[in-house]
Amino acid sequence: MTDNAPPDHAPGGSTHDADVVDPAEVVATAERRIAISFVVATVAALGLAGVYVAGGQAQAEGALLFVSLGGVGVGLVLWGGHLLGEEEVTDQRKDLEATEEEQEAIGEALHTDQPEGRRKFLGRLLGAAAAALGLAALFPVRSLGPSPGNRLRRTAWTPGARLIDQDGRLVRVDTVSRDGIVTVFPEGRTEAADSQAVLVRVDAEAMRHRPGRETWAPEGNVAYSKICPHVGCPVGLYQAPTHELVCPCHQSTFDVLDGARPLFGPATRSLPQLPLAVDPEGFLVAQADFDEPVGPGFWTRDR
Amino acid sequence: MTARLSRSRDRAGFGTRVLLAAGAAGALLVCGTTMVTLSAVPAPAALTAQAEPRVMAGRDLYLTGCSSCHGPDGRGTERGPTLAGVGAASADFFLTTGRMPLDEPRDQAQRKQPAYSRPEIDQLVAYVASLGPGPEIPHVDPKSGDLPEGFELYANNCASCHSSAGAGGALGHALIAPSLGKATPTQVAEALRIGPGSMPVFGPDVLDEHQVASVVRYVDYLQDPADPGGLSLGRLGPIPEGFVAWVVGLGLMLVFIRWIGTTE
Amino acid sequence: MIRSTIAWIDDRLGGSSFTRTALKKVFPDHWSFMIGEVALYCLMILIITGVYLTFFFVPASDEIVYRGDYAPLHGVKMSAAYASTLDISFGVRAGLVMRQMHHWAALVFIAALVIHMCRVFFTGAFRRPREINWIVGVTLLLLSIANGFFGYSLLDDLLSGTGVRVGYSIALSVPVAGTWLAFLFFGGEFPAVEFITRFFVLHVLILPAMIVGLLTAHLAILWRQKHTQFRGPGRAEDNIVGSRLWPTYALKSVGLFFLVAAVLAGLGGLAQINPIWLYGPYDPAQAAAATAGSQPDWYVGWLDGALRLLPGWEIRAFGYTIANPFFPGGLLPGLTFMGMYLWPFIERRFTKDYASHNLLDRPRDAPARTALGAAMLAFYGVLFFAGGNDILSNIFRVAPEKITTLFRVVLFLGPAAVFFITRSACRGLARSGAHPTEGPVGSRIRRTPSGGYEDVGEDH
Repeated sequence: MTDNAPPDHAPGGSTHDADVVDPAEVVATAERRIAISFVVATVAALGLAGVYVAGGQAQAEGALLFVSLGGVGVGLVLWGGHLLGEEEVTDQRKDLEATEEEQEAIGEALHTDQPEGRRKFLGRLLGAAAAALGLAALFPVRSLGPSPGNRLRRTAWTPGARLIDQDGRLVRVDTVSRDGIVTVFPEGRTEAADSQAVLVRVDAEAMRHRPGRETWAPEGNVAYSKICPHVGCPVGLYQAPTHELVCPCHQSTFDVLDGARPLFGPATRSLPQLPLAVDPEGFLVAQADFDEPVGPGFWTRDR
Repeated sequence: MTARLSRSRDRAGFGTRVLLAAGAAGALLVCGTTMVTLSAVPAPAALTAQAEPRVMAGRDLYLTGCSSCHGPDGRGTERGPTLAGVGAASADFFLTTGRMPLDEPRDQAQRKQPAYSRPEIDQLVAYVASLGPGPEIPHVDPKSGDLPEGFELYANNCASCHSSAGAGGALGHALIAPSLGKATPTQVAEALRIGPGSMPVFGPDVLDEHQVASVVRYVDYLQDPADPGGLSLGRLGPIPEGFVAWVVGLGLMLVFIRWIGTTE
Repeated sequence: MIRSTIAWIDDRLGGSSFTRTALKKVFPDHWSFMIGEVALYCLMILIITGVYLTFFFVPASDEIVYRGDYAPLHGVKMSAAYASTLDISFGVRAGLVMRQMHHWAALVFIAALVIHMCRVFFTGAFRRPREINWIVGVTLLLLSIANGFFGYSLLDDLLSGTGVRVGYSIALSVPVAGTWLAFLFFGGEFPAVEFITRFFVLHVLILPAMIVGLLTAHLAILWRQKHTQFRGPGRAEDNIVGSRLWPTYALKSVGLFFLVAAVLAGLGGLAQINPIWLYGPYDPAQAAAATAGSQPDWYVGWLDGALRLLPGWEIRAFGYTIANPFFPGGLLPGLTFMGMYLWPFIERRFTKDYASHNLLDRPRDAPARTALGAAMLAFYGVLFFAGGNDILSNIFRVAPEKITTLFRVVLFLGPAAVFFITRSACRGLARSGAHPTEGPVGSRIRRTPSGGYEDVGEDH
């Protein structure tokens, strides 16, 4: 029979086995760490107060808050983990399902002594009253906004309205140089968000007019609604060499020379074109409003 | 009487004061102009009647470095467009940003270290300007611009391609609107006037001189804007912010709960 | 001191026995069970910082001329809401830290919610009797995403204003009632400036009240049903093993709150988020602009990605239009949440498992469920990245058109691949199985008086 040697005894007298940690030591280390955490937290909090009084500085405030809150957190976690004698406990679960007796008892409690027929009829009347009241309660919702009416089909552009840029300056037929782009509004209406349009100057020879639109782009000045027909972002990106308007939101791309037809992206329709003309003084004017609703699609758009 | 005498002796006469003031103003003017010309960005040399030798020197450089794409007479080939009428501003822009010379004409020209020195660029610019009338090199003083006006113009005209922070953005067809981080005031003004690459042209009737100065001043500001909130994360918006929230924010939380809880 | 306080309260409310049971209640200690707590504490930080911000924010759309501390916007016309946000950022001491903490907390909060939901999903904790709590939880996620959207849209800056416009257009595209929906919710034709005040009421009052109410129900149900636990030595369907609420669990939990607060505070001061002064105010008429690289906050990013990926398809028939944005903006989130709500009921149709479960699955124990969940995460992950297609285009110098096409392909191939890979990985793991928490797998046998052995039951 082999003699199992007893574990080595260290000179200090305590059992020294590599796998066993002295619990008292653990507690002492934890206490030390917890103390340090709380002290650091206190100092940081005082520093934070100082920074604030001195006028405040975001990075210092953030860093000091981090240290202060973190110190308290670390201390508490260590306390909960090491100082309380961690023990795993077991508890029983109650069966939550109602037993037959319980179900019967609930059934009995719910039961009321009522004759069937008439009370059922009254119950139905109550139901009708509640439904009608509920419906009526929805009416104040109607006050939340105006009816759509014709608003989505009209903008502020009127026949003869002169074009102005965002600073209110009138736009002449030669204001925009070739390959240039400017955002325009009807005169006096720079707040009309649905009327925003982009005016692009292209080579008049290169334009491929849609039928009926031959007079809409005098001397290569062509204007389209700036509101993307996808979800309404302003189509502000103009790539001059390829004559493409690009929407920055979801990259819908429109061909300026071909009635702003969508070439790529989720947009399904061309940008509506604004018919332009030149007035006797040389300013650009709109011949009429857009000939279709601007912006994103909706249920009755084609009606 | 004694008082009046001492007064006139102690103070200079009216005419003297006017002369002194004029002299001071003149000195200030000279100092200011000198400072502008000696500033860190090499200012383009003025094109004057004595430029003839520069044009000839520019032509020599042109024939060596540019004619293979732009043609021996600057009228273009199938590899590169004509330079007649593009003006000094174009040449200066493309050369000082290093976009020209371009190795592969099909690629989008990108900002690089300029291939030529300032005097060489002046010579090339002089030669290109001699090919036909075009936009001159704009002289712009950012300080004369108005910062809030610059913000509004930038937001309305530039942000949709170059982004609100000047970080650049994607256009179609693998082209990009570049970041504006390294653009000098002159280069910004030149770009506005010539519309390089895919950029539209913003002529004098669309943006006047003062407005250009304002835009230039704002772009200058964007190169080192206020970042009071801390690390700027590239100013690219919610996507890097989302990454930081997941990786740093949630990541640290997960580290903590791994530490607190058990793992079996 | 704690003892006497509790005694004082107890004396008046008479809850001694409840208090006693409460203090001794057992909570399992697995780290993954604390993810929900992380979310809870993020919410608390949101509420604390949010209340502070409410004192300074002006929820009005009136146009004013800015004269505050941020020089580049001097003299610029903007809404009072935007101006008050600038004041919070530049004028109020520690205002910027509070604002940034609030925003970071929102991002991390929803991330924690998603991870928590994943933990519940992949361990099958939504099974009977916890279907109610699953439904409450999915509702909490939905409300939180909505509240986040309303919150960052309140500031009326260029970036979030673009997002409001997108939301308006999605509402518009709803069949039959779309125009009415948009006009009533926003108060008119775009840019219905009413939205600032309405979003404020939703963000500060209605949605937080609903969230707190549902959260209370969520915790109460959890308390009543007791937490689930993983299998392991000593653990069974009818018991619960862990540490007691008091003092261990409470201390650790409060400690976690401080750690969560610390991380959010650190981010709030050291990492800049949503620099609205660079975007400028949203004025759809004056500005008529949007910035390149317009993305929403990450938890809405999957919707934006869907908007970008769907090609230009639209249904037009009999004079009526179902516009393109309805499909990614209305139908997709509708189906997503419906799927999430119904999942416990869908799953048990297939597994025929109608039993009650208090013990959790390891993800590998349910290969089909885990694979499906992983595939769904992949699907929405691809949508999220697709929302940044222009940024990816900028970084990698590839045309946005090519990136979009690539994403369209990956959107379907990716999750399919993830499904099959995950499923076989689960099966492999379950088979080979070092299963560290399972005790000896085998049967309990008993010696009978006559000398034989009989099998009494399986022991996990």
